[in-house]
Amino acid sequence: MTLDLAQFHETFFAESFEALDQMEAALLKLSAGDADAELVNTIFRVAHSIKGGSATFGFTDVAGFTHILETLLDQMRAGKRRVDASLVDTLLRSCDLMRAMLGATQQKQPIDKARVSALHAEIELIMETPGEAVATPAPSAPVMAETAAPAPAPAAAADAPSGWRIHFAPGPKLLQHGNDPLRLLRELATLGPCDSRVDAMRVPPMIELDPEDCRLSWQIDLRVPVKEAVVRAVFDWVEGECDLRLESYGPAFDAAAPVVAPAPVVAVAAPAAAPAATAVVPAAAAAPAADDGASAHKAAAAGDGGSIRVSIEKIDELLNSVGELVITQSVLSQLAAPLEGHDAEEFRNALGQLERHMRNLQESVMRVRMLPISFVFNRFPRLVRDLGQRLGKKIELRLTGEGTELDKTVLEKVGDPLVHLVRNAIDHGIESPEARLAAGKSAHGVIELSAYHKGGNVVVEVRDDGGGLKRDKILAKARERGLVGPDEELSEERVFNLIFAPGFSTADVVSDVSGRGVGMDVVKRNIIELGGHVQIQSTAGKGSMVRIRLPLTLAILDGQLARVGDEVYVVPIVSIVETIQVRQEQVSSIAARAEVFRLRDDYLPIVRLYDLFGVEPQHTELLDGLLMIVEADGKRVGLFVDELMSQQQVVIKSLETNFRPVVGLAGATMLGDGRVALILDIPGVITRYQSQDKRPASSAQQAA
Amino acid sequence: MPEIVEPMQPEVKATAESAGPTPVTGRIVLGTSCTIHEARSLREQMMVQAVHPGPFEIDGSAVQQIDTAGVQLVVAFALDCLERGVPYAWKGRSPALDDAIRVLGVGALLESPSGVFA
Repeated sequence: MTLDLAQFHETFFAESFEALDQMEAALLKLSAGDADAELVNTIFRVAHSIKGGSATFGFTDVAGFTHILETLLDQMRAGKRRVDASLVDTLLRSCDLMRAMLGATQQKQPIDKARVSALHAEIELIMETPGEAVATPAPSAPVMAETAAPAPAPAAAADAPSGWRIHFAPGPKLLQHGNDPLRLLRELATLGPCDSRVDAMRVPPMIELDPEDCRLSWQIDLRVPVKEAVVRAVFDWVEGECDLRLESYGPAFDAAAPVVAPAPVVAVAAPAAAPAATAVVPAAAAAPAADDGASAHKAAAAGDGGSIRVSIEKIDELLNSVGELVITQSVLSQLAAPLEGHDAEEFRNALGQLERHMRNLQESVMRVRMLPISFVFNRFPRLVRDLGQRLGKKIELRLTGEGTELDKTVLEKVGDPLVHLVRNAIDHGIESPEARLAAGKSAHGVIELSAYHKGGNVVVEVRDDGGGLKRDKILAKARERGLVGPDEELSEERVFNLIFAPGFSTADVVSDVSGRGVGMDVVKRNIIELGGHVQIQSTAGKGSMVRIRLPLTLAILDGQLARVGDEVYVVPIVSIVETIQVRQEQVSSIAARAEVFRLRDDYLPIVRLYDLFGVEPQHTELLDGLLMIVEADGKRVGLFVDELMSQQQVVIKSLETNFRPVVGLAGATMLGDGRVALILDIPGVITRYQSQDKRPASSAQQAA
Repeated sequence: MPEIVEPMQPEVKATAESAGPTPVTGRIVLGTSCTIHEARSLREQMMVQAVHPGPFEIDGSAVQQIDTAGVQLVVAFALDCLERGVPYAWKGRSPALDDAIRVLGVGALLESPSGVFA
């Protein structure tokens, strides 16, 4: 039986793609001519790790390309080559290429060899060209200096200790995960002379040995003054899979150095006493004190040392099971309701506890699926840089709220719409530097991407300080296309919303708004499919803002059950403002098409749910039922229902998957009594209501 | 792939009766590739050899590719020999094997124990 390394491929790909994101972010930060040593180190480490991993797994094309890239990066790291915009550009393209190569390898598709050869040749050419050395390398940069033997050793880093004693004890499964201490020790030897002594105490008799487990551990003396981060970087790939301790040596390294001549077996197996001059540097303690970002990186990594990668399918299975448990718990609650007596009371108390535990369990599982929106935001610095450069525009990107978390599924689906919005803002929102200067603005345009939580939702805003939308031109175009009647007057918001209309092609729209419609219908559709909403605001000459409101999760909802006839609807609690009873005299009609009622200073439309969904109601008189005031996207309406029932968390089952999408319905759920209840999508309900007989927008909107 | 040559019993025995060095009853020939991919089969075949009383001869002259798993197996075999007091000797070590032994610092473990035939 041989070890199937293929089982680790996905982990390697996932980690490599993440590492490439880090590399790209570091490259974007690398300002021309100012080779921040730690950024260069970060970039180098990524290339180095990918090279090592791909060589281990036999991805020779990737290993070959990253090897030459690593050589170039080493020149930068050594301060032999000044970083300029052109070099950063080449490195960014290399990053893209590595991503493409890894993607192709992952998909078992052929690699674009012509592209690889071209960039390979370009890098070779750069390396053949004598680089303009950095006059004074940054103090923290590990400067590589060639030495005669036995290995190239970094020149002394001013504040680095004179050497390191490294205790490296691999976990038993390290070999099975495609890692090889032999390779790591060879890499370590590239830093400078090192002597390794093995500890074979953990090697069991052959009969008990699993040959794929690693039972050896090492004590290595690295006799070179390098920083801790440089040493730890060698072990990046096995982080979390080994016990790694570093002891630094002071100037008396040679005197304190242990005898490294081959020792008899017993001596090797015995734990070596630490020299008096050494100082144990536990990773966690050393990291904050270290002055370089690599250590900070390691500290961060150490913080999640207890993490594991779990496939999203497994989490979804777990979530689904939790959802079924919620339904079962709801069934039990329903069954317990009519019971009487002391036992029944105790039973209900226990059920109450069960409900609390279920809620905790559900929240815990949901949190597992939550990821910071930075996973999406991180792609934008590159996008803005590249597109800005291509269009000759100077654009500053500001990101805020990158730590805002939302469900992974929502996160994955919101990426493309955001790319559309940002690309449009660059392409058509921000003006050319000349136009901006002429308009009295700074030559640099600003695009702001921000995310924050609000009312159980996540709000993402894309703002630009460009030319803004031209209301008159959009309206004229919409009239020309028959989207708006010749005499129909629209509010500014509705005019701007026209750019989301399908078929509102921008190709023939005047230049200053052109492109605002490209894919915008798709953007809106995607957001709506996520259960979110899009709003747009714009001021001519000052810029535009697109606000996307997204649900935190697509799986579970806090709902208020409401009955209409025999049907039960679930109204998302986040949408409910209040519930009231209205008297007929509070109600008036608008042009015999719609009923509105006065609520304090507003007039709100009444949406009779039985009318909207064609069900037989118990009550048609307003006084006999209830009005739930609900709000979405700043619009409020009163939903007329027969009665309110309980509030409960419901597990959302997709209507689209199990039936078909229905405007006004976000999905369905199973109630405790086994009935299916439909979950209202409040913005959809308002849209559906407005589309019936072209009823007016909410009164609140009109009043505003 | 690792290759294990069956013990050369008739010849060895004949040699054992002579006044020469300790007779070899088992010989382990490491193949060109001794990596984690071959580790299980290499171990199984080492176990087959281990039933012999020894001494053993290890031929590592053909090794072109070896990783920590391969070296660890050789170390385990050597430690077993040491524990049983059975001598072993290297017939040959390829540069690749020598380099791996040096880098991993296992040279001391794989030295023929004193008194063992060479």
